[in-house]
Amino acid sequence: MNNPLETLIIGTIILFVLCVLFWPGKGILANWKKLQKQSLKILIEDALKHLYDFEDKNISSTLHSLSGYLSISGDEAAKIAQKLKDISLIDIHNEKLLLTPDGRTYALKIIRVHRLWESYLADETGVKEKDWHLRAEEKEHYIDQEEANILAARMGNPAYDPHGDPIPTASGDLPVKKGKHLTEAAVGKVYKIVHIEDEPIAIYSQIVAMGLYPGMQLKIVEVTKEKIKFVAEGEECVLSPLIATNLTVAQIIIPEKIKKDFKTLSSLKIGEEGEVVGISRACRKQQRRRLLDFGIVPGTKIISELQGFSKDPIAYKIRGTLIALRKQQTDYIYIKK
Amino acid sequence: MSNSLIHNCETCPAHNVGNLTKLGINMDNFDFVVALAGNPNTGKSTVFNALTGLKQHTGNWPGKTVTRAEGGFLYNNKKFKLVDLPGTYSLLSTSTDEEVARNFVLFGQPDVTVIVVDSSRLERNLNLVLQVLEITNRAVLCLNLIDEAKRHSIIIDERKLSKDLGIPVVPTSARYDEGINELLKMIYEVATGAFVCKPYKIKTESKQVKNAVEKLNGKLLQAFPKLPNVNWVALRLLEGDQEIINAIRSGDLGSLEIKNFIPLLEEQT
Amino acid sequence: MENINNTYRESIISEATTLRWEVGENFHDSLMESIYKNASEIAAHSVTKKNKQQNHTFDQKLDKIITSRMFGFPAMFIVLAVVFWVTIIGSNAPSAMLASVLIDKIHPWLKEIAAAISTPLWISGLLIDGAYLGMAWVVSVMLPPMAIFFPLFTLLEDFGYLPRVSFNMDSLFRKAGAHGKQALTMSMGFGCNVAGVIATRVIDSPRERLIAIITNNFALCNGRWPTQILIATIFIGGAVPGYLAGIASAGAVVGVALLGVVLSLVVSWGLSRTVLKGEASTFSLELPPYRPPRILRTLYTSLIDRTAIVLWRAVIFAVPAGLVIWLVSNITIEGISLAEYFINWSNPFGLLFGLNGVILLAYIIAIPANEIVIPTILMLTVLTLGMNSVGAGDGVMFELESVNATADIFKAGGWTLLTGINLMLFSLIHNPCSTTIYTIYKETRSLKWTTVSALLPVVMGFIITFFVAQIWRLI
Ligand SMILES: Nc1nc2c(ncn2[C@@H]2O[C@H](COP(=O)(O)OP(=O)(O)OP(=O)(O)O)[C@@H](O)[C@H]2O)c(=O)[nH]1
Ligand SMILES: [Mg+2]
Repeated sequence: MNNPLETLIIGTIILFVLCVLFWPGKGILANWKKLQKQSLKILIEDALKHLYDFEDKNISSTLHSLSGYLSISGDEAAKIAQKLKDISLIDIHNEKLLLTPDGRTYALKIIRVHRLWESYLADETGVKEKDWHLRAEEKEHYIDQEEANILAARMGNPAYDPHGDPIPTASGDLPVKKGKHLTEAAVGKVYKIVHIEDEPIAIYSQIVAMGLYPGMQLKIVEVTKEKIKFVAEGEECVLSPLIATNLTVAQIIIPEKIKKDFKTLSSLKIGEEGEVVGISRACRKQQRRRLLDFGIVPGTKIISELQGFSKDPIAYKIRGTLIALRKQQTDYIYIKK
Repeated sequence: MSNSLIHNCETCPAHNVGNLTKLGINMDNFDFVVALAGNPNTGKSTVFNALTGLKQHTGNWPGKTVTRAEGGFLYNNKKFKLVDLPGTYSLLSTSTDEEVARNFVLFGQPDVTVIVVDSSRLERNLNLVLQVLEITNRAVLCLNLIDEAKRHSIIIDERKLSKDLGIPVVPTSARYDEGINELLKMIYEVATGAFVCKPYKIKTESKQVKNAVEKLNGKLLQAFPKLPNVNWVALRLLEGDQEIINAIRSGDLGSLEIKNFIPLLEEQT
Repeated sequence: MENINNTYRESIISEATTLRWEVGENFHDSLMESIYKNASEIAAHSVTKKNKQQNHTFDQKLDKIITSRMFGFPAMFIVLAVVFWVTIIGSNAPSAMLASVLIDKIHPWLKEIAAAISTPLWISGLLIDGAYLGMAWVVSVMLPPMAIFFPLFTLLEDFGYLPRVSFNMDSLFRKAGAHGKQALTMSMGFGCNVAGVIATRVIDSPRERLIAIITNNFALCNGRWPTQILIATIFIGGAVPGYLAGIASAGAVVGVALLGVVLSLVVSWGLSRTVLKGEASTFSLELPPYRPPRILRTLYTSLIDRTAIVLWRAVIFAVPAGLVIWLVSNITIEGISLAEYFINWSNPFGLLFGLNGVILLAYIIAIPANEIVIPTILMLTVLTLGMNSVGAGDGVMFELESVNATADIFKAGGWTLLTGINLMLFSLIHNPCSTTIYTIYKETRSLKWTTVSALLPVVMGFIITFFVAQIWRLI
C-alpha cells in the first residue's frame, strides 16, 4: 500500500470535493437544480398573486408595480402581462391590470397552497417562524390542487393560516373581511390581532421579533400620528404607524381576561403549585391540542415536580399524572399561584 | 331498562370461568367485534392478553402498542373478535400516532367498545371516555389497575359511576386476572343487547360551541334523519375532519352510522 | 331528487366552513374545557380519596435519584453495561454447547445419511452444507444472547425505567434538533431495528420522526452483537493482559454501543441543519409510576414469544444466505470460484478502509440478515487461504469450537488489531438489513427517505473506517 499520509490527503480532498458538489441545499448540484426551477410558470403565478393582493387592498396594479414586485425589467413585465392576457387570466384597461374571474380563481388557488404550506410548516415541522413565508413562497408553485387537498385534509382542513389569514377553500371561497388596521383603533378599547401582514419581510420580522402574534389581545393606550401605544400580555408596546398598518385587529366586545400579572408555568419552582388560566394563542394546533389532551385547561392545578439535571424538560403533576414538558411548551402556559 | 346496572353476584352460573375459551388468533366467523380503547399505558394489551391468551407485548410506558392487534375468544357460545388498539389521549386530535385507534373507534364499527381506564387517574381518563360515548351507544368501562388505586386509597363507587355514565362499569386488575369474568359478562350483555346503554352526552356551556353545533345539527338531521350521534358529527365537522366531510358528501354517513347503532334487541323483535 | 340531496349535503359542508370561520380557533379549546368540566363533575361524584398525605413517595424519591446530575447518566451507563455484560458472559457457554450439538454432531450425521442414500454431491452440499449450516449457526449464535437480553430488557421496560431514560436524554436530543422519545425508539432498536423503526410512531412530528427512523440504525441490533462480541474477544481481549480480557472486551462492546448513541445524536444534529431543517418542537411524555416487574411471567413471555419470533426471522434469512455462500464458492470459472474473483478484485479497495475483500463480500451476502456476517467471513477467509484442512470444506459455514482457532484463521488471513477495530466500527455503521429497509419504506412511504436511510450509514461507515485506517497507519 502506498504512503498513508498521501492516501489520507487524497481521501480528504475527494471527500471535500464530493461535499461541495452534493451538499444538500447548498452544494453545486442543489444550486443548479434551483436555477432550473426558475421558470415562466413561477413568474406568471407570482404576477397573479400580486394583482390579487392589490385588488384586495383596493389599489390598482400597473406594469410598473408588477415589474417592481417581480424584480424584472419593464419590458419583461409587459411580456408577462401580454402572456396573461392571451390566456385570458387578466384584462388590461388604461394601463391598469385587472384580474378576470379565471385569473382570480387561479390566484386564490396559489394563495390556498401558500397558506396551507405555512400552516403545515407552523404546525407540523419545527421550521422557524421567520422562514415560513419564504419557504411557502417557493413551495406554492410545486404543489398541485390535489396534493393541496390531501395536505389540508390531513391537517384537519385548517380555516386560518398561522398569520391569522383565512385559507381559501378548495372551491375558492373566502370569508368576508373583518377588522381594521391597528392605526384606526380606538383608545381604551380591547382588540384582538386577527392578521399580521407578512410583507414586506423587514417589517414582518420586526413584528415577530416583538412577540406579537394573531389572536393576541391588546388594550389601546394611545393613538397619535407618531406612535401607537398599547398593552399586551402585561407589557406596554409602542409601534410606529408604519408598522401598525401591517396589523389588522378586531374589537373584542366582552374582553377575555387579559393575561396580565400571570406567570408562565415555566416560572414555577420545583414543589410549587399553580393554577392554569390559559394557553397562549401562539401555541397552535397540534401542540395546543396535546396540552389540552393532558387536561391543561383553565382551572387545572399543576405541581412542578421533577427537574432533571438539564433543567429542561421538567416533569409536572397534572391531574394525577407525571408529564414531562419542555420549557418551550411551558412558556406558553399561563398560571396563577 | 329493567337491568340492574351492575351484577356483583360471583356465584351465579354465568360467572363460571368455564364459559371463556381463549381462541388465540383463531377468529373466523366471529359474532361480535370488540374494540379495546383507552389512554396510553392503562393496560389495554394486558386485558387483551387475559382474554385471548395471546402474548401481545406490554410495557410500562405509554406508546408500547403502535399497531392494532386482533385475537379471538369464545364466551357463552358466542365468538368474539377482540381488537387491541394503540393508546390515545383524545379522538378529537389530528396526530398521526393516534390515527389507528381513532379510525377504528370511529369507522371500524365495533359492536362493543371497551374503554380501559387507569382507576387512579379516573378524571383525566374520562376525557376520552366521554368522547367515545358521543360516538357509540355500546360501551363498557373497564376500571383497570384497581389494585393501584386501592394502594393509593382511592375508592371508586362503580355503581354511581355506571349510573352517571349510563354504561356498565367493571373494576379489574388485568395483570392479576381479577375482574376478567365480570368484564366478559358485561361485554356479552352489551353485545347481545341484554344491557342497553344510555350513554352520557357532553354538556357544553360555551354559547359559541352550542350555537354552531345546534345550527349544524338541524341541517344534518334533515339530510340524515336517523343519525343517532349527530352531535359528534357536528363537532367533527367544526373541527374540519375530512373523513366526516367525505361521508356527508357521498351520503354514506346515514347508512354507516345507523347500522352501528341499532341495538341487537330491536333487531330481534 | 338525488341532485337536490347532493346540493343539500354540500350546503351542510359550506355552512360548516362558514361557521368555522366564525367560531375561529377557540372552538377546540371551549370544547375541551367543557369535556374536562363534565369529567371533573362525574369523577367528583364517585371517587373518594382517603388520607391524602402518603403520596407515592417511593416513586418521587427514586425519580429524584435516577434523574439527578450525580446519578442520571452514570446509572444509564451502568445499566447498559450490566445488561451487555450479563448477555456476553451468560451466552458463552450455551452458545458453545448449541454449536457442538448442531454443528459438530448433527451436521456430520446428516452428511452420513446423505451419503448413505447416495444423494448427489451438489444437493447435499446445497442443502446440508449451505442451508442447514447457515441455520444452525444462526441458532447457536443468536439464541443464547437473545434469550438473555430480551428478558433483561423487558424487566427494565416493565419497571418503568425507559421513560426516565428518555427524560434524561431529552436535553441532548433537543439540542440535536430531535425528539426526546427518540431515546425510547433507540432502546427498542437495541433489540431489533425493525421494532425500533415501527416504534417511532410515538413521535408525532413528521420531521423528528424521520430523523428517528434514519438514525435508528445506529442502535446496535441483535444481529450485530455476535460480531461485536467475537471480534472484541479476539482482538481487544487479546491485546490486554489475560485477567483484563473479559472486562476489556465487554467494555469495547459497550463503547461501540455508546458510539452508536453519539452518532445518532450527531447525525440527528446534521440532518436538522441540512435536509430536515427545523427546530426541535415539542416533547410531552407521560412518566408512568414504577411497577414491580413480574419476573417469571416476563421470562416466559420473552422466551416463548419475542425470542422465538426474532429467531425465526433470522433462520428464514440464514437459509437462503447459506445457499448463496455455497454457490458463490462452488461455481467456478477456469478453476477459480466467483467468491475468489470478487475478493481478489475488491481486496485493495477493502484495504483502503482497513478492511479486506472478504469482509466486503460478506457484507454484501449478509444484506438480508446481519447475523451471518461472521460465519461468512470465516468461510471466505479459509477459502482464499486454501486452508482446507480447517473447517468443513469450501462453501461451508462453520463455527470453530474455540475462539483461539478462529483467531488463528484471522491472523493467517493477515488481520491485525486495526482490521478488528474497523470491522467493529463497520458493523455498527453500515446499511440496515433488508427487513429494516423494507419497514422504513412501509413507514415513510417514500423512496427518497428509504434510500437516504440505507445509504447514509454505509457512506459514513466508509468515511470513518477510511480515516481510522489511514491515521492508524500514520501513527
Ligand atoms: N398493578 C397493575 N399493573 C397493571 C395492570 N394492568 C396492566 N398493568 C401494567 O401496566 C403496564 C401497561 O400495560 P399495557 O397493557 O402495556 O398498557 P397499554 O394500555 O396496552 O399501553 P399502550 O399500548 O402503550 O397504550 C404494564 O407494565 C402492565 O404490566 C393491573 O391491573 N395492575
Ligand atoms: Mg398496548
